[in-house]
Amino acid sequence: MDGAAPPNGMRRRLRLVTMLTALLALLGAYAVAGRAEPAEARAPIVRVAEFLADCPFSHRLPDDPIIYPGLPGASHMHSFFGSTATNAYTNLADLLNSNTTCNPRVDVSSYWVPTLYADNAPVEPAIVTFYYLGEGVRSDIVANTQPLPLGLRIVAGNARATAPDSTTISRWSCLHAGHVGASKDFVNCPSGTMLESYLDFPQCWNGRDLDSSDHKSHMAYPVNQACPSSHPVAVPKLRQVIRYPVSGDPARFRLASGPGFTMHGDFFNAWPEAEMLRRVRDCIRPVIKCGADGQPS
Amino acid sequence: MSPRTVVPPTALLVVALLVAACAGSATPPATSDPGTPTSAGPTSAGPTSAGPTSAGPTTAGPAAPAGTTSSSAPYNGTDIAWLQLTVAMHERVLPMLALVPAQTTDPALRRLAAQVEDTHRAELAQSRKLLDRSGAPRTNPHEGHDMPGMVTAAELAALGTATEAQFRRLFSRHLREHLGQAARVARAEQKSGADPATTALAATVARTASAALTQLDHL
Repeated sequence: MDGAAPPNGMRRRLRLVTMLTALLALLGAYAVAGRAEPAEARAPIVRVAEFLADCPFSHRLPDDPIIYPGLPGASHMHSFFGSTATNAYTNLADLLNSNTTCNPRVDVSSYWVPTLYADNAPVEPAIVTFYYLGEGVRSDIVANTQPLPLGLRIVAGNARATAPDSTTISRWSCLHAGHVGASKDFVNCPSGTMLESYLDFPQCWNGRDLDSSDHKSHMAYPVNQACPSSHPVAVPKLRQVIRYPVSGDPARFRLASGPGFTMHGDFFNAWPEAEMLRRVRDCIRPVIKCGADGQPS
Repeated sequence: MSPRTVVPPTALLVVALLVAACAGSATPPATSDPGTPTSAGPTSAGPTSAGPTSAGPTTAGPAAPAGTTSSSAPYNGTDIAWLQLTVAMHERVLPMLALVPAQTTDPALRRLAAQVEDTHRAELAQSRKLLDRSGAPRTNPHEGHDMPGMVTAAELAALGTATEAQFRRLFSRHLREHLGQAARVARAEQKSGADPATTALAATVARTASAALTQLDHL
């Protein structure tokens, strides 16, 4: 940089110092104002710890590489998002070498849910968004969020549920019709709105295992805004939001796993480690709302 | 979003970052996290600040098959999944077989049902034994709902109240689906499983299911 400076650089430098001093003075005032009114002062930054991936429908298969690895056809029908390669035999290396439906393209993770049927015909979602959030735990824990480890597998929801109960985590609601409210089972959405499903994944990791024999016990939900000592590592909370282009009488709907309260989601993490770490560092820990590119949105 | 102040905040942010960078290595950037091993590369971004976790994840290798459990050395994820599935499928079909004597007098159908029940009970006992030996839970998070080849509670109820003709038709259809699925996943286990006793059981299940299917076709 100095090598490119013109001969009369000294005077220029002086002028620059003067300008910088003025700017710093401004900055000081700005910082004070910023402390008083953070939302106003940092207009472009929204104080929500979040980044996301938009991953449209990829394919449908009766496969499940987490629950039934190596057993094609063993599962009920699943709709896959993200990696376009996922089948019963998929491992991490397959994902890392695969294409993806996601924005950002760097997310080659695989996500899947039981297929939704309306009048016995499969319906694929119009909008599929995976939010990665720093919430559900105390702010000091959010500030120390660790990246989701490469190859981690998480299952959320209860495919074996026989009735909606206190353990039902998934919720159904209507996009653009908030007055309908959220329910553990399908809801009747007004014409012109979309049926939507929300599902939060457990965000406390045991720090050791990428999977477990019941596919659940290596992960846990927070208790009293903190991760339990058995699962001490706080990772971003994955929130799956799926919008289906259907509305009306829920009696027409079923999931491949059964009624609405059997909604579940499976996640096989294949974010490149550097990309995951960057987003955790730049979006989750400092509590900044980021877009798919991992930049403030 | 709230309106901007007179000086564009982004410009100020740039200056602030420049100043912070010029301040030297003694001052970490404002967003740096004391719990994070900043010197480590992204590959070792493990949970170093939390608990006894200096070692990386146990199944981190890209070559590790999905669903691998560390506690059951000879078993891989496919073995466990197939055993759990076989237990669930065989358990589910037994109540349907138990309906046969009351619902039909057809001797060939009764004989086939009795034979399938015998082989299924033996295979079920063997599956449970191998599953217990593996240390894995007997059930898995997905079983029990509308799985391929599994007769549903509603279908079972319909069988119980069906006429004999209806029963023969529905029973044959459900049994065919069950046996076809049992043979299909057993052959997959033979191909992808690791534990010799489990793949041997899979060979047995594939053989008995195929034989029963052939008999069913000749009824």
